[in-house]
Amino acid sequence: MTITLHDFELSGNCYKLRLLMSILQLRYDIVPVDFFPGREHKSDAFLRLNPFGQLPVLQDGDLTLSDSGAILAYLARRYDASGQWFPDDPAVTAEVLRWHAVADDITATASAARLALGFDYPFDLEKTQAGAHRIFRIIDEHLWFGEKSGRDWLASPAHPTTADIACFPYVMLSEEGGISRQDYPALRRWTDRVRRIPGFIVMSGIFPAGPALPAA
Amino acid sequence: MTLSLSDPAWYPIASSDDLPFRHVYQGQLLGRELAVWRADDGNVNVWENRCLHRGVRLSIGINEGAELKCQYHGWRYANRSAGCTYIPAHPADAPARRIQNKIYPVAEAFGLVWSAAQDSDNIERPFAPFPGAESGQWFPLRPMPVNAAPEDVLAGLATLAPDDRPADSLPGLALRLGDVVYFVQPVDAGRAVIRGLLPSTPADATQALRHYNEMLSKLRDRLERAAAKKPAPEPLAPAFDKVSADLATMPDIAIPRGNTIPVVVKRKWTSADGVIGFELAAREGHLPTFQPGAHIDVHLPNGLIRQYSITNGPGELMSYIIGVKQESASKGGSKVLVETVRQGDMLAISEPRNNFPLRRDATRTVLIAGGIGITPLLSMARFLDKSSLPYELHYFTRACEQVAFRGDLEALHGTVLIHTGLPRAEIGTTISTALGAWSQAQHVYVCGPSAMLESVRTTAAAQGWPDEAIHFEYFKNDKPIDDSSAFDVELARSAMTLHVPAGKTILEVMRDAGLTVPSSCEQGACGTCLTTVIEGEVDHQDVYLNDSEKAANTCMMTCVSRAKSARLVLDI
Repeated sequence: MTITLHDFELSGNCYKLRLLMSILQLRYDIVPVDFFPGREHKSDAFLRLNPFGQLPVLQDGDLTLSDSGAILAYLARRYDASGQWFPDDPAVTAEVLRWHAVADDITATASAARLALGFDYPFDLEKTQAGAHRIFRIIDEHLWFGEKSGRDWLASPAHPTTADIACFPYVMLSEEGGISRQDYPALRRWTDRVRRIPGFIVMSGIFPAGPALPAA
Repeated sequence: MTLSLSDPAWYPIASSDDLPFRHVYQGQLLGRELAVWRADDGNVNVWENRCLHRGVRLSIGINEGAELKCQYHGWRYANRSAGCTYIPAHPADAPARRIQNKIYPVAEAFGLVWSAAQDSDNIERPFAPFPGAESGQWFPLRPMPVNAAPEDVLAGLATLAPDDRPADSLPGLALRLGDVVYFVQPVDAGRAVIRGLLPSTPADATQALRHYNEMLSKLRDRLERAAAKKPAPEPLAPAFDKVSADLATMPDIAIPRGNTIPVVVKRKWTSADGVIGFELAAREGHLPTFQPGAHIDVHLPNGLIRQYSITNGPGELMSYIIGVKQESASKGGSKVLVETVRQGDMLAISEPRNNFPLRRDATRTVLIAGGIGITPLLSMARFLDKSSLPYELHYFTRACEQVAFRGDLEALHGTVLIHTGLPRAEIGTTISTALGAWSQAQHVYVCGPSAMLESVRTTAAAQGWPDEAIHFEYFKNDKPIDDSSAFDVELARSAMTLHVPAGKTILEVMRDAGLTVPSSCEQGACGTCLTTVIEGEVDHQDVYLNDSEKAANTCMMTCVSRAKSARLVLDI
């Protein structure tokens, strides 16, 4: 079976899937979609794949899937033998899905601000920026108290989950939407940790972190 | 109270916990953005948040433990000094030592990191603890950023006090509410961070942190609602210093003997049979930036000047460690150091110079040391080690007891092979095997006795290593100098022609004519007096230039080399 990702290189939502597939060491093909300026995701051919006209779309054999959070869950359930990325436990599943929803809120705010500034989208810049800051404040507080109690990741397990993958890209790209992360030190430290996950890959605007301090 | 850009007061800018190892924290004080990072030795650096090269924020850079690497073009800056140690676009060159980022003073106390808008070289107001600081075992609260004017935030904090027990004002933007102390970090005209300290660690720390966090969040929301109704204050407009003139223009020829730095012999010990280690510490603060392979001049009590390589790893600027060979036949250089200089003595040293720069873009780096030649190569190995770059270090000594810096070598993670007591023939085959055949992006660095350098250079050349991949540093020039020729030198820039008679060097003749020209070893080994040749044929007698450089006839060492032609034109 072949996995095909309908992808736009500068899309954080597409990058979420490239990132998880890199971590899970999956092979896949890419079909580039000219999201900007071509608006190919609104073309007839693409709407047949996803009537909502949104990237990314992932095809696995006969299966056609859309929505980055849903696809993250699918890839983890289907291909992650360790079961760590989308855990089976009902409470943890709910927790992870809660963060997938936060990720969508980040897309609606931080990513929208980036589209307004960099891609000529007619969004209300001030409103989307304020919305992103509101969410980042809450995540920073969550992560800060997490650090104090020994939790490094968004969800409670002692390892990263798709919750982290889903929220990471548009946090890292926020400055392209004029949203500084200076006031969120715990959020910034968490981005270091995500960037140190084995198999991590970059995209334009997302830089690598150096290696962590080797254990003494 | 209005904020002043030039307010020299100390303010907290981060919690100590905000600075884990290998992280770069983004901060701001009085409108100035800061890149704040903790080196692996625990030292906290507070730097202006821009790379000198292209102005990119250093807070997105990589904390490599002893150097901060800019994300854009990979310039590395050293722990403590913020001096540039490596420029990937010029991998074979040592960066000019004037390339140094702007740094701010720093203090770490009470679980907080403090800084001030002061010149770090000339601190007019040193850090002083707040009144009553000595009475507590301070426990920091979660910092609370607020989008409101710092003075309004302070006033808001004061309103938290119960009516019968008003807040005590503390100097600066701080106050005490009961036994809790709050500082307001003036981020900018309209932004602040509340940093609170409890006088001791509470029994249930999490519960206490949650409690204060909730209280301060409510205060923040109230302050931000009030601030939104007022016109937003104009952000502070710090003047960013232009890149200094001596960086932006061609510097004057440096006079290496001009500037000396006083140092204290902090430690003197026998590192191995015949090798004495010296730790030279700055009298206050740190020593200048150096790069791997760099050496310093040490001014000896008897007036002699000798060069010694720095063995330190990246970012280790509190003292330089050198190794000195105890030579029975020494004419008074090393001998004076070894026999008369004691722990606690003062010495003068030069700023570090580097004629033996290390590339960090090699796929394979071979380091070959003979005897005391280990010193620059130890430094190189430490830099490569810290950046997890591959290397093989071969260290030849006559006997086991002569292995210097053994503990330091054992602490390295790369391939370190110590060869002791090999017969001459076997040294040759070991070198040959160590080098192997050359392929693209492999470099060898060698330092040791002349015979060994010659052996490595000829072996490498025979095995296909090009001149530019063979890097060497001689301690001294053993070759007999033939100064029997007589010729004229025309100094193109100084517009004068001088006659160099037999028995005198070009350098001496230029000095006699009143010119100030840099030099150091004056035996054709160190490279300091390197001069561009415009015309004429050079009679090279140094050991600094390699064969292709000599054949190119474009530069020379004026301390020993002479002319084969009747006239030389130099770019001086």
